[in-house]
This record gives sequence, C-alpha cells and structure tokens, in this order.
Amino acid sequence: MNEFLAFLDQVWLARFVILRGLGLTVSISLLAIALGSVLGVLVGLALTYGNRPLRFVVRAYTDFIRGTPVLVLVLASFYILSTIGIELNAFQAGVFALAVFCSSHVGEIVRGALQAIPPGQTEAAKAIGLTFSQTFTSVLWPQALRQMLPTWVNTAAEMVKASTLLSVIGVAELLLRTQEIISRNFMSLEFYFLAGLLYFAINYAIERFGKYVERKVSVPS
Amino acid sequence: MAIPFRAHALLLTTAMMVAAAPAVAQDKSKLDEVLERGHLVLGTGSTNAPWHFKSVDDKLQGFDVDMGRIIAKSLFGDPDKIEYVTQSSDARIPNITTGKVDVTCQFMTVTGERAQQVAFTIPYYREGVGLMLKADGDYADYEALKEAGSSVTVSVLQNVYAEDMVHAALPEASVDQYESVDLIYQALESGRSDAVATDQSSLAWYMTQNPDRYRDAGYGWNPQSYSCAVARGDQDWLNFVNTALHEAMTGVEFNFYADSFKTWFGKDLQPPQIGFPVEYK
Repeated sequence: MNEFLAFLDQVWLARFVILRGLGLTVSISLLAIALGSVLGVLVGLALTYGNRPLRFVVRAYTDFIRGTPVLVLVLASFYILSTIGIELNAFQAGVFALAVFCSSHVGEIVRGALQAIPPGQTEAAKAIGLTFSQTFTSVLWPQALRQMLPTWVNTAAEMVKASTLLSVIGVAELLLRTQEIISRNFMSLEFYFLAGLLYFAINYAIERFGKYVERKVSVPS
Repeated sequence: MAIPFRAHALLLTTAMMVAAAPAVAQDKSKLDEVLERGHLVLGTGSTNAPWHFKSVDDKLQGFDVDMGRIIAKSLFGDPDKIEYVTQSSDARIPNITTGKVDVTCQFMTVTGERAQQVAFTIPYYREGVGLMLKADGDYADYEALKEAGSSVTVSVLQNVYAEDMVHAALPEASVDQYESVDLIYQALESGRSDAVATDQSSLAWYMTQNPDRYRDAGYGWNPQSYSCAVARGDQDWLNFVNTALHEAMTGVEFNFYADSFKTWFGKDLQPPQIGFPVEYK
C-alpha cells in the first residue's frame, strides 16, 4: 500500500512531464497519420489509375518503404537528409519518417479497396454517361472508403506505436519521458505500466473513433 | 616515365590544392563557429542518473551535463549558454560525425574502435565496477565477501558478461541477474542478495540518495575512462575542450568540478597540490 502511495506521489510530481510526453506522442501520431493518409490516397490512386511509368515508380516507392523497418526510416530522415542539405530537426524528421511509412500502407489499403469494387460498377456508371471523376467521387470512392476504414484504423494504431521509436533521435515523446522519470526514481515496472496504459488509451480512442465513423457512413440495411 | 611539363604542373597544383584544403578548413575552427553562435550545442542523454537526467522540474542535470557547463563557462563565462541535444547512447557517434552537436559528454567509454571515428578529449572520470553492501549487513567489506566464498549472492544487471564480471572479483559468489536497476537494489534491500555489483558511479549516486543505509565494499575493478568527444580533424576545438576540462580538474575551475563531484558522487575531492603540477608526478 505504501509503495502504491509512493508511486502515486511520483506520478503527481511528474504529472506535467507525463502530460507533455503524451501531448507530443499524440501530435506526432496525428500529424503522421494525417500527412500519411493524404499522401497515401495519392499513392493509392496512382497505383490504381496511373499510367505504366507512374505505376512503376509509385510501386517501387511503396515496396521500398514497406520493406524498410520504421527505425531505419527514422534514422535515415534524421541523418541522411541532413547530408544532402535538408535540415530537419528531430521532431520534423520523425514525423516525416512516420508519414512516409504511413503513406505506403495507406496507399496499399486504398488500392486494395478500389480494386475490390466490381468492374461492373464502373461500366454501369459509364453506361449512364458519368465522366471518370463523377464515377470516382460518387460511385467508387464512397464504397472504397467504407472498405478501407477498419484497416486504416489499424494503420493509425501502428503509427502511435511506431512513434516510440522517435525516442532514439531524442524526441521527448511519452516513452522517453517515462524513461527519464524512471531514471530518477527507479520505479521501472510501475511507470512502464502507466505508459502502457496511456498508449492503450490513445489506441482505444482511435479505435472507438474508427467504429463511430464506420457507423456514421455505413449504408443502412 | 616522362610526364609533359604542362600535365606535371597541373598535377602539382592539384596536389597542392588537396594538401591545402585541410589547412583552409582549419582556418575556421568549430571554436570560432561556437563563439560566433553564442552558445554551445551539447549532446547528452536524459535517462541515466547521476550522469544526465531530468530533475523533478524537468531540467537536465548530472555530471555529464556539468562537464558541458564547464565547457560553456570557459567559452562564454556563462555555464548556462547551452543548447542541449538529447540523444540515445546509439546516437552519440552519428550526431558528432554529422555535426548535429559541437561536443558530446554522455558517459562515453573510450575505446580504440570509437577513437577511430571521433576525437576523444582527456578523461573526466574513471568508471569501474564496485560492490555495495547494506550498512547493517553481515559483511563488512570486500575481504569479508571474498572469505565467505560461495555463500555470498550478488545481484547484477542482466548482461552476457554479468557472471564473468562478478567472478573476476568474487570467484565463488553466486550471481543473480535482474532486468532493471531498481530490482538489483531491491534484491539487496530485501536480503535476497548480499551485495550489488554495478558501476561505481551508480552506486555512489544511490548511496547519496539513501544516506547511511548502504556502504561501499571498497573494491573496484573493470576500469574504463569517460571522455567527451568531438568531430575528428579540428585540433583547435579539441584543444579548447581539453583545456576547459583539464583546468576544471586541476586549475581555476577546480571548485566547479569538485562541487559537481560532491553533488553526484557524494565525495569531497582534495584540491590539487600547489606547486609542482600534479600531472607530471
């Protein structure tokens, strides 16, 4: 009991530090997910509708990024970009790496969702005289969006977890903050558990949000 | 082989230009760059007490941080003119070689392999493994532990070399490995082990935090030197950092160094003997 009170005392002392770490983790994740999704949709469109050379380039991009560990992407954005004159600070480099990683996954999700729609629908749309962009916005995209939501939520949760890797390049996100606190009070099990709980809370919130959107956009049956 | 005169001259000029290039680079030392900038960019960690860690009010502190402050003080007369780059241990060398920091002070063990990649300053601390006992425990010191032989249990951090490390000092002791620092201390506290073996600096810090409850067994082994490090090829800057550290250990800034030593390791240092320089004894 006493130990638990001592732990609560330490949590109270470190409350702002934990909140700052949590805030940074959330902002890194949201930025990476938002940028990655925008870029990923473009990647997905290029993979589905691009002409042959464009498809080849984008295919190479997604395969290369998806085949690279996130940690390597993080380190590369921080160290290699600076040698070619692009000076990103640790936060920017981290968000960039995660967004790039996210985009390759979202790209594949979008491609999969679009290709899963039976070709008959495009043909039907053509038959009633819709242009390609009309077909896309009112026939294909709404269906694809519903298809890809669950996997997209999955990718978003992955991004939150991958944000812990940014501690390696010195971004003071939740995990690094937790380690800083532990190095002062040696309560490793307790504080790692707390961090785990907070990560779970973030991901649970994302999952609930995904479910909410799914319900909102589902076709009433 | 006869090389036509013109080609010869060209080769010579090229060779001279190549040879002159480092000299040109030396013209503009990191020292001038730092002075112009007005603050030092110090690479260090934030997760290892008492070397580099955060205080309750979220300020970076520790012995490594103080070494950086000593350098900043000799640069600007103000130990606070520092921009910290917090980095993991893995990032120490890359951040130096890619110029993201001016100098790194982060309990960096000097090894021949690392010295090929970065330039080490003079050492500012000699680390070693030590043994910590309970103040009211069964064993008085290292000799008592050694005599007790196999009835002694030592708690250590989990590591491939943990057994060998302990057996180098206590050949017969049984070794219990734990996953984190708090657990090796807890083992001693609860009586599951008779001694803790880990870095002497960590032990010194722990004993400073918990006065009168523990004592040092009075034996150290596995020596290693801790130095700051800078990029290779800038002798001017290396000399400056060396001078700053050297004078902190032996000269005008001795009190700064000694205060820091007292704060983080709980030991008072004797001022260097006045008269003939201690370095040449």
